[in-house]
Amino acid sequence: MDIGRNLKIDSVARLHPTTPWHVHPMQTVADAVALMRAKSVGCVLVCLAGKIVGIFTERDLMRRVMSQGKPLSTSVGECMTPGPVTVDPKDPIGAAVRRMEEGGYRHLPVVHDGKAVGILSVKRIVHYLVEHFPATVHNQPPTPPFPPKREGA
Amino acid sequence: MICPTCGHDNLPGNEVCSNCQHDLTPLDRPAATNRVERSLMEDQVQALKPLTTPITITGQAKVREAVALMLERDIGAILVVDDAGKLQGIFSERDLLKKVAGFDGNYERPVSDFMTRRPAAVSKTDTLAYVLHKMDGGGYRHVPVVENGKPIGVLSVRDMLRHITRLCRE
Repeated sequence: MDIGRNLKIDSVARLHPTTPWHVHPMQTVADAVALMRAKSVGCVLVCLAGKIVGIFTERDLMRRVMSQGKPLSTSVGECMTPGPVTVDPKDPIGAAVRRMEEGGYRHLPVVHDGKAVGILSVKRIVHYLVEHFPATVHNQPPTPPFPPKREGA
Repeated sequence: MICPTCGHDNLPGNEVCSNCQHDLTPLDRPAATNRVERSLMEDQVQALKPLTTPITITGQAKVREAVALMLERDIGAILVVDDAGKLQGIFSERDLLKKVAGFDGNYERPVSDFMTRRPAAVSKTDTLAYVLHKMDGGGYRHVPVVENGKPIGVLSVRDMLRHITRLCRE
């Protein structure tokens, strides 16, 4: 399995991007935070009439809400990152990785025909890379302390 | 397992050839099949140069100060150290989302109330495969690099991704 080749051939859809959760731009940041917490995700999409208008991430929470001293009753529309960079499910994984690296993004919305069908996270990409070398990555020596005597027979 | 010296067909897992007593252990050592895998197996943490002074804060500092420092340095996680400079925990954006946001007064409380204690850490001589194992297994985006309990750097998931994709492109 050549990983360089697979990055060009395998499509984003193969990674089964996680379900996107969305909020309305007029909902409050508190709603978005509650949703992110409940679903254990780092970002939610901000959608208006089925169209993505922005993305609200952990970084936005830190940068545009908490450090500015804004209350959590602020609307998401004011604090989101508008017009996020997206990928198509048919795009190669390599293209998604490049977009993540260029923009320093950890999440890309996966959009097909103008509709959000998933979220691709950097963790999922790392897991995909690890799947190429499972033995190398997962067979690791034990960490001390070691048992003083050998066990068993 | 075919013995390389006498050609005897041994049972799989034998340590020495049952015919000529030749050492068979090297036959089972893992071997890299391409440059990315070789890098993961052989390169150490220090090869990625995460060893610039890490950004740290003491546990008594307020959440407000930690967030301000994270924003100023544009990082997603900050290392929390005790008075002796030893690693106590890590405070990340995820901690902020899960434990701080939305509760009154949390901003003025000490970071140590919300940090993740005893985070998975690596040493600078560990291999990249070991770091990837920690990251993928635990779902961590930041792994501190420590020496004698003191943080000397941080490896982020982005560093790993950049390293691997660069090898793929070369």
